[in-house]
Amino acid sequence: MIGEPLFDSGSIAERVADIGAAISRDYADKTPLMIGLLSAAATFLADLARAVTIPCHLDFISVNRYGDGDGIVVEKDVAIPVEGRHVILVDDTVDTGLTLQYVHKRLAERRPASLAVCTLLDRPHRRIVDIEIKYRAFEVPDVFVVGYGLDYLGRYRELPALYAHGTWPA
Amino acid sequence: MSRVTFAHASEAEFARLFDFYRIIWEYEPRSFPISWNEHGRPVEFFTPDFYLPEYDLYIEVTVAKPARNTRKNRKLRLMRSHHPWVNAKLFTRRDVERVFSRSVKRAS
Repeated sequence: MIGEPLFDSGSIAERVADIGAAISRDYADKTPLMIGLLSAAATFLADLARAVTIPCHLDFISVNRYGDGDGIVVEKDVAIPVEGRHVILVDDTVDTGLTLQYVHKRLAERRPASLAVCTLLDRPHRRIVDIEIKYRAFEVPDVFVVGYGLDYLGRYRELPALYAHGTWPA
Repeated sequence: MSRVTFAHASEAEFARLFDFYRIIWEYEPRSFPISWNEHGRPVEFFTPDFYLPEYDLYIEVTVAKPARNTRKNRKLRLMRSHHPWVNAKLFTRRDVERVFSRSVKRAS
């Protein structure tokens, strides 16, 4: 179901290095707190953290997805206090923006010094909620993407590149 | 949501999606005139399915096959032309399918 990579590991490494350099420049005199949205952003954040050349702190947050329960809730909260910190929320894919807006709001309520969004993939075609994305590695067409942490029914997360999957599961 | 009668199941599903994400929505709150007769009276209107006040955004949902989207596209085009300050988005059948696909539920 997958063929040639949409973005090979070299291209991903290049973009991660670019974003790491941009974050290092933008937060030169700060110690940003980078918060990954589990689970798919974990691979991206792990590489990004190593591409940043300034001190930074890492944490993770997770929420339930649509269909799991009556409403979205934080399932695993961050352990590091957010107030007064320069936070970079790291997501794997921004599609409708619905999940991101919820997490963004919850973090903003805790009065960080700043709150920026970084995403591996931006798929703007079906955006419902517009949130400013400060750093994006790739804008992708209307295809379902797997690999580099992104799954299709639990598969393909371990692949080092990003691939277009042939189908969108029902 | 229980007091609202939706014209189509896909609209009800969108309302459930907004409820899940705690997004305030209104169903068909406003009709926009999009064509007028020779006396200046509006003769045709476009009524988007949803309004999201927090984002000042109207959403129109259609599950018609792509070949039959011409009418809605025309209405949306006219609305954007006559009401350029109105922020409106059209969600087609394919968009709806993918928004609610199992994978996007996990990844968006």
